[in-house]
Amino acid sequence: MDYRTEATGDALVVHLSGVLTFDDHEKFRGVVTEIADSPAPTAVIDLSALQQIDSAGIGMLLLANDRAGKQDKQLRIRGVSGHVAKVVELSRLEQLIPID
Amino acid sequence: MAKRPLTGSDEDRQCRILIVDDLNSSRVLIESILRSAGFTQLVTAADGVEAIEAIREETPDMLVLDIVMPRMDGFEVCRHVREALGLDIPILVQTGVQEGDFKVRAFDSGASDLVSKPINAGELVSRVKLHLERRRMIGRLQTYQRRMEEDLGVAQAMQHSLLMSDAEVATIVGPRGCDMQTRYQASNTLGGDLWQIFPVDETRFGLFMVDLSGHGVTAAINAFRVHMLAAEQIEERRDPSAWMERLNESLVRILPVEHFATGFYALIDPAQGCLDYVSAGAPPPLLVNAHGKVRWLDQHGTLLGCRSGVGFEATRETLRKGDRLFVYSDALYEDFETPQNTLSAEKLARGLVSALGVKSDFSSALMQSLFGTPDRRFRDDLTWLLVEMKAQDAQA
Repeated sequence: MDYRTEATGDALVVHLSGVLTFDDHEKFRGVVTEIADSPAPTAVIDLSALQQIDSAGIGMLLLANDRAGKQDKQLRIRGVSGHVAKVVELSRLEQLIPID
Repeated sequence: MAKRPLTGSDEDRQCRILIVDDLNSSRVLIESILRSAGFTQLVTAADGVEAIEAIREETPDMLVLDIVMPRMDGFEVCRHVREALGLDIPILVQTGVQEGDFKVRAFDSGASDLVSKPINAGELVSRVKLHLERRRMIGRLQTYQRRMEEDLGVAQAMQHSLLMSDAEVATIVGPRGCDMQTRYQASNTLGGDLWQIFPVDETRFGLFMVDLSGHGVTAAINAFRVHMLAAEQIEERRDPSAWMERLNESLVRILPVEHFATGFYALIDPAQGCLDYVSAGAPPPLLVNAHGKVRWLDQHGTLLGCRSGVGFEATRETLRKGDRLFVYSDALYEDFETPQNTLSAEKLARGLVSALGVKSDFSSALMQSLFGTPDRRFRDDLTWLLVEMKAQDAQA
């Protein structure tokens, strides 16, 4: 997995790409830190360039959501498609994290 | 660790170092330098042949080796130690400036490091200590790794022992009009798959499958916890929604925020010809009828252990004689190393139906029809369960 961040208006957008799995724990910590350190009240994780996600990857999104919530920030997800969309739908992730 | 480890210099003193040089004066010089640095187990050899003999007699911890020697030179000693004897002990080769390409050749032959001639006492001692330290560290890591592997092996076996045997399964499903095959294939790490079946009453039984997120020790320990929780959910066995809701509440309490589980629970009633199920983000099971027609049990459901108060509503499917229910973990279709190889729902269904058509050894037939090979390794634990409603005796 790779990521880049972009500050737009009052949101921090994090673009993830590649494959988000168990092996990305360390790297994803960077995403969580970026969201925590950002002054923006909203963080958006954009998954449009993400090809695949496993259960640990879903767990990382939940973790980011939890951390954002603890800082009174809102986390949103957008750009789910393909395999990622299937996993997200199956697990009703929208009940836990708002999905645009 | 209970015992304080020896310090480097304590251990150095006990290291056996073989000094190989055809010049007596060089041997004496190197020996006296090492001795005054605290090394006591020093052995010498006057050429390559003597060196190999000495090594065969007792393997040293390290070699300090000259290159130009009669009978067998240093390059050949290196090669012999590495190839014929298969030893990975450090070999420190002495080379002089005038000896052109010797440095490259020494490394090519298997030398660990070089020390320049004429010998500088400080350099020699530093390099010897450095390599002994490095060897000690590698040794410790190897020991640690071995111990970890043993522990993981034990944990894997324990996890495996949670699963019911074919005979236990048969005593539950057989009298209720079903046959059942199961397969659990552990990956090289520990995983978080678990399945169980429970008798509910004379005609019904419950089938439960769960996959704890992640891999390794955490997932395995969480699988054990779920096993214990499931054992306490007795009344809920007859009510799939209640089953999943209670399990969710327990997992919300015990799982850290980034961990969760996917789960599937079905109450199977072959006598009444129905199946009530709930899914919590699990891969959708398939129902294949006697003629190979496929139905997906593709109910969507919230992941377990994430949020309290989540409801799970059961869905009812009809069951007929000859129907087969196939439940599986995501390892079966997901391929993270080559994402484009991830199986589509259509391919999975086609592969399953074709494997069900093969009468013998369903497991190999399934692997063959899905992956073109009867035995495939998976990155994650693979579990599948196949329940068949028997054509006869389905009525209790």
